[in-house]
Amino acid sequence: MKTAIKTAVLSSALALGVALSAPAAMAQEDSIYIPNLSYRTGPFAATGIPLMNGQRDYINMLNARDGGLNGVRLEYDECETGYSTEKGVECYEKTKARAVVTQPWSTGITLQVLPRTNVDEIPILAPGYGFSPMADGKVFQWAFNPPSSYWDGASMILKYISDGDLDTLSGKKIALLHLDHPYGKEPIPLFEKMAEQHGFEFLPIPVGLSEMQNQSAQWLQIRRERPDYVVMWGWGAMNAGAITEAVKTKYPMDQFIGIWWSGHDGDMQTVGEEAKGYKAISWSVPMPDAPVMADIREHVIEPGDSMVEDESQLDWVFYQRGLTISMMLVEAIRAAQDEFDTQTVDATQVRWGLENINLDEARLEELGMSGMIVPFKTSCADHTGHGGGWMLEWDGSKFVKVSDLITPDREAIAPLEAEKAQEYAEANAPWPTNEECSM
Amino acid sequence: MLYRTAGQFKTSYEADHALFPVRQDAFLLGFVLVLAFVVFPLFASEFTFRALLIPVLIYSLAALGLNILTGYAGQLSLGTGAFMGVGAYACYKLVTIFPELNIALAILFSGFFSAAIGVVFGLPSLRIKGFYLAIATLAAQFFLVWLFQKWGWLYNYNASGAIQVPNIEMFGITVAGPLASAATQYYFVLCFVVLMTVFAINLTRGRIGRMWKAVRDMDIAAELVGINLMKAKLLAFFVSSYIVGVAGALFVFLWRGAAEANLFDIPLSFRVLFIAIIGGLGSILGNYLGAILIVALPVVIGAVPELFGMSISSATVEHLNVMIIGALIIAFLIVEPHGLARLWAVIREKLILWPFPH
Repeated sequence: MKTAIKTAVLSSALALGVALSAPAAMAQEDSIYIPNLSYRTGPFAATGIPLMNGQRDYINMLNARDGGLNGVRLEYDECETGYSTEKGVECYEKTKARAVVTQPWSTGITLQVLPRTNVDEIPILAPGYGFSPMADGKVFQWAFNPPSSYWDGASMILKYISDGDLDTLSGKKIALLHLDHPYGKEPIPLFEKMAEQHGFEFLPIPVGLSEMQNQSAQWLQIRRERPDYVVMWGWGAMNAGAITEAVKTKYPMDQFIGIWWSGHDGDMQTVGEEAKGYKAISWSVPMPDAPVMADIREHVIEPGDSMVEDESQLDWVFYQRGLTISMMLVEAIRAAQDEFDTQTVDATQVRWGLENINLDEARLEELGMSGMIVPFKTSCADHTGHGGGWMLEWDGSKFVKVSDLITPDREAIAPLEAEKAQEYAEANAPWPTNEECSM
Repeated sequence: MLYRTAGQFKTSYEADHALFPVRQDAFLLGFVLVLAFVVFPLFASEFTFRALLIPVLIYSLAALGLNILTGYAGQLSLGTGAFMGVGAYACYKLVTIFPELNIALAILFSGFFSAAIGVVFGLPSLRIKGFYLAIATLAAQFFLVWLFQKWGWLYNYNASGAIQVPNIEMFGITVAGPLASAATQYYFVLCFVVLMTVFAINLTRGRIGRMWKAVRDMDIAAELVGINLMKAKLLAFFVSSYIVGVAGALFVFLWRGAAEANLFDIPLSFRVLFIAIIGGLGSILGNYLGAILIVALPVVIGAVPELFGMSISSATVEHLNVMIIGALIIAFLIVEPHGLARLWAVIREKLILWPFPH
């Protein structure tokens, strides 16, 4: 017993000594701190890990290949939230001191952080998620959700299934299978408005967080109601659950369409061939042969700096989407560096950069990411860019692009965005708005 | 030495029954209060306020509410999270319907809503006991969370289905909402928690508290000596749910800033129950010790590797954290099955006798 204690004490002392003598990862003077509220643990880890890996690897690649960005290192740091809103607050507070941006990665955390960023003056980057009215840059000065919002996504799906003419949907029935959570409820106002305008029947079917993996009740309802299309706003375990149920109930896969977070290779692989024909709208497409992928392999994967365990995951939609997300951020920082003629930009300057992202085909070509993400351009009044997206289809082993670029019907969405943004600002008065912006 | 009681004579029964029969206890409490009111705010950063101090206080208060019901009156409840939700949603409705209402009053009122709901769901306790009652309160948990999701009026028909705290001023100072400073919120919460704790201490030491303890230890015997079981049990549900409701309102308004229905789901109930059990059932102090262990320690452990400049990925830290906290909980419960409060009591006894143990 005594020796056991002795060994324990000795080994812990040794461990402490090693820890203390290890070179402290001190914050460098000339670095830009990019925190990410990641979730590699918890119920949504399966979808989080490839995204975070992508984000991390892109930054690591820039650091290894170019020594950072214009001579300044990018310091990428993760704070683990496990998708819990409580940890989200903690992580936000922990990282905000030096942060030039905050990436909340959950609609719940976004809701908590959104009002605070106005006070702390840190931009939120929520690519393809968060609150759709954040597109209104006049009201939401510090929030960005490029390149497409959820309402854009809903509009694109409707456009795709109606071949561009929404009036042909008249008399049809469209079900929205959604997570019963702020995220899943996001598109409902737009669907309701569209249903009214174009005369189709809209049927929301909520899936509670506790029933994500067993959706038999929801699919029973789908069998009874026989909707012409099922649109899915699912996340984490819900996607795999829904697709398994759809296969079981033999729902025609070509009438089943998901949002970009429901198009995850990991979810589909469990059902494989049987889910052939399932579609998901997406603003990013995996391009295994893109020049940037060669750089990632050379500078990150081969030296062993990546957390990716299986190389086949490099071609996943979510991994490559992670790359494009970091790319957007880096482009914003680059724009800010040019504008303000400084290397170490601060949060306010990065906000300017995020308002002036201009990713056209030529720029994407230069970055070696041509075709990986929709081209888009943000402005002071437009924090989304509304680049649109492509329809992806599961061919039994991977997602392939099956459509040309689909753009959202902005004329229908913009008034709703302005209205909801105004409502939000009023409910949270006094809310500062940016009057200098012209639409 | 530290706890030498020699020379502290009691000459009346009142002195013998005082809150602090040993003078050092009063000093210790005074010291803790000085720490909480003066020292912490002087040195705390915003992170410390928002990630450590405020949550510990709010969770302690919620556990205190539960402890009154489970620890003092012996009625097991698994619906704490939902009752916190009732307090939060009630406060949200009060604040949005009457924007002029003082926030402190709104929080105090919202406790009554959750108290009323608590009494309704406490009714089964008159017929069923123990685990069966736990199941009945579990029903409250599921029903209420479902209600928070489905009843649009509760969240003012927000598209996101979440409630969001507006900026609220009290006497010209913003106390809730994004503009509020962390130190203001801390003092606000601290005052509420101190107030509720004083209330709870007095209640549990008096006639009502003894009544509850009698019901807890053996309800048939309690009934035979003339305690009205219905009154005692429902009163326990009322007081407990009131405190839990106030904690819920503070939870959303003074800390989180926004909440969706899922926040009040069963994991929250379990978390509060664990705080109460590990802290010590049937004690007031235990709630604070339990909250420090369960709420604050993970945050502190999470900051350790960074302090030493170790580069461990944050996911690994999170995994380690879960393991360390789990091991600590088991260790503490093996050392003292009656919780941390009992552990402190044993230490205190020893200190009083020290250095002459016989």
